[in-house]
Amino acid sequence: MTAAAEKEVVFDRIPAPTWRWLGVNEVRVPESVLREAPALRLVTIPRGETRDMVVVCRTEAALELRAELGEGAEFRLTRVRLAPADVRCADAVKVTLAKDARLSYTAVELSGARAADLLDVNLAGDGSGADVAVFYFAGGQQRLDMNYEIHQRGRRTEAVLDVQGGLSGRAEKIFRGTLDFVRGAAGSVGREREAVTLLSPDVVNRSAPLMLSGEAEVDGRHAASVGRLDEEKLFYLTSRGLSPDDARRLVVLAAAAPVLDRIADEALVAEIRAAMEGRLSHG
Amino acid sequence: MTQQKIIIEDIARALYDVRDESRPRYRSESGLTEDIVRDISRRKNDPAWMTEHRLASLAVYNETPPPAWGPAITSLDMDHIATYVQPDAVMAGRWEDVPEEIRSTFDRLGIPEAEKESLAGVGAQYDSEVVYHSIQTSLTKQGVVYTDMETALREHEDIVRAHFMKLVPPKDHKFAALHGAVWSGGSFVHVPPGVEVKIPLQSYFRLNAPGAGQFEHTLIIVEPGASLHFIEGCSAPKYNVTNLHAGCVELYVKEGARLRYSTIENWSKNMMNLNTKRALVEKGGLIEWVSGSFGSRVSMLYPASILAGEGARCEFTGVTFAGRGQHLDTGATVIHAAPRTSSVINTRSISKDGGVAVYRSGVRVSAGAKGAKCAVKCDSLMLDSESRADTIPVMDIREDDADIGHEAKIGRISDEAIFYLTSRGIREEEARAMIVRGFVEPVAKSLPLEYAVEMNNLINLELEGARQ
Repeated sequence: MTAAAEKEVVFDRIPAPTWRWLGVNEVRVPESVLREAPALRLVTIPRGETRDMVVVCRTEAALELRAELGEGAEFRLTRVRLAPADVRCADAVKVTLAKDARLSYTAVELSGARAADLLDVNLAGDGSGADVAVFYFAGGQQRLDMNYEIHQRGRRTEAVLDVQGGLSGRAEKIFRGTLDFVRGAAGSVGREREAVTLLSPDVVNRSAPLMLSGEAEVDGRHAASVGRLDEEKLFYLTSRGLSPDDARRLVVLAAAAPVLDRIADEALVAEIRAAMEGRLSHG
Repeated sequence: MTQQKIIIEDIARALYDVRDESRPRYRSESGLTEDIVRDISRRKNDPAWMTEHRLASLAVYNETPPPAWGPAITSLDMDHIATYVQPDAVMAGRWEDVPEEIRSTFDRLGIPEAEKESLAGVGAQYDSEVVYHSIQTSLTKQGVVYTDMETALREHEDIVRAHFMKLVPPKDHKFAALHGAVWSGGSFVHVPPGVEVKIPLQSYFRLNAPGAGQFEHTLIIVEPGASLHFIEGCSAPKYNVTNLHAGCVELYVKEGARLRYSTIENWSKNMMNLNTKRALVEKGGLIEWVSGSFGSRVSMLYPASILAGEGARCEFTGVTFAGRGQHLDTGATVIHAAPRTSSVINTRSISKDGGVAVYRSGVRVSAGAKGAKCAVKCDSLMLDSESRADTIPVMDIREDDADIGHEAKIGRISDEAIFYLTSRGIREEEARAMIVRGFVEPVAKSLPLEYAVEMNNLINLELEGARQ
């Protein structure tokens, strides 16, 4: 049986389903990826403490990470996927935050013939916040399937969900991002932004930026833009001697810069840049 | 201490809630069976192909599950819905020939008056049949056809057969299949090439019978270079039993043609409004949707535009007002299927008193639709935390040479805006009213004047100062 024909199973669902023809209701992964229970990591961060964690995936794997943040705790989580392009991965990160706790989540997604990412953030405590920054690049025949949900339950919570990405070759990607203002989350603010750069006529990009609200006293906004590289930027760079391919590479790398700047490990950043260069060169 | 509050009233429904005693000439048994479908077909003298179409649709209905998304529609029990209610009237070309009781209903709704003042033609449907239809002689001389669907089926059978439920096939979803089985009434418009219909045509749909369904079919064909503005209005009195509306609108906008389709939907709050609207737009054509959703207990309405020809365009402007007991799930879909097509979706929704307003959209750019552009803007205003406002947009982009933008906001009336306005001497309640009116203004200005006035009446802002 080929990988393409392998039976798929539902890994996750969006909180508010819509038309089936759009194909975004369910995150599906090949059955074999979930044949064994995902490696489970439990993280508990006591009140007032801070933890940094870097998770780098370089092989076929399924991971589930659950984190509980006590009052005023801070969790700086970086998740990077650098596995070869022929492997399949499925990761889930679930974080619950108490009062005034903060999550800083940085994700770089560069790999996998099939990759599924879930992020489920529960801003349960008043004044808690999540700052999520994601960069992805998919090329070749890759399929990247993401579902990010931030549930704002406490009062005066803050959520930022900022996603930048590029697609080339025949890559397919779905990004679902949900800001969910639960009734009682008065004074909460949520911002979601996705910018997608399309580098090939054969890519498929799907974006589902959901915003759900049961609370009036909130300020929620989302914006998405999808398109080719900015022609003016390209013209400027080529007029300064860069080839069109080099100019495209530079623009995509520049889009990744704000996300890479959040990663302290310079060796890891260098590895990510090298992987991106490779992907950009080989489409 | 002075406490001030703004009360934004529910839609003023008194005008629409006047009900006539239901005295139909014929009312089908409640429920949906092959015998009932055959009976409707026989009574309407359908050609054989239409009878077959109805029966095939019934089979699709029986095997199709209800939608697995959107509002709960479990309270809809087809065993308690009469799908065909024939009023005690025959279609007339003069209001004087419409039976007094039915005529007075349309008088109250202002339809004959509007006809005199600002319309080039009017169709009026009461329950399952059209009871009045007219069109200005100047338009018929130019070859414009505007008539009820049953007449169109007799007099323009080839055109109807070539287009009927081709854009919205019965297999599209369960309620499209239901429509295919029991449709009755509706309007047919054909505008010949190059003819500009400068004054709007309007069809008004009134469902008076309790526990009944209305399934009118609207088919409009605007030939190359022609233009039309079509207005659709709908209302019903409130009953304690569920009524159902599952109409179907199919619009064909040919090369270089323009069609504006305006709707003010004000069904009563016992209505399930499960309507389907779709337009096929050819090269250089333009479809403009203007949609106001105010009534119904449950609404699922997402006009769809298929931009099939190069340079075809779509503009969708919508406003939804969900009050107590209402779950209005509305939005739009656009398929960019040709190069240099463009679409703009601009919606506003307001929810209050436990009302649920959902904006739902789907935008697809097909491979090869080079130069496609789409801009979506959907804003939601919640007036209290008993209510809900959700936005569920999806973009499916399969062409790199495309420029797609989407933005949305959810929130309440901003304290900063109130502060700004009050600091300039405007009383707080006036400031709030200005903000709410400003919120729907982009939609109001897209409506024909008389409809903008009606919408302003519907969104009746009442300021009240309660002193302690």
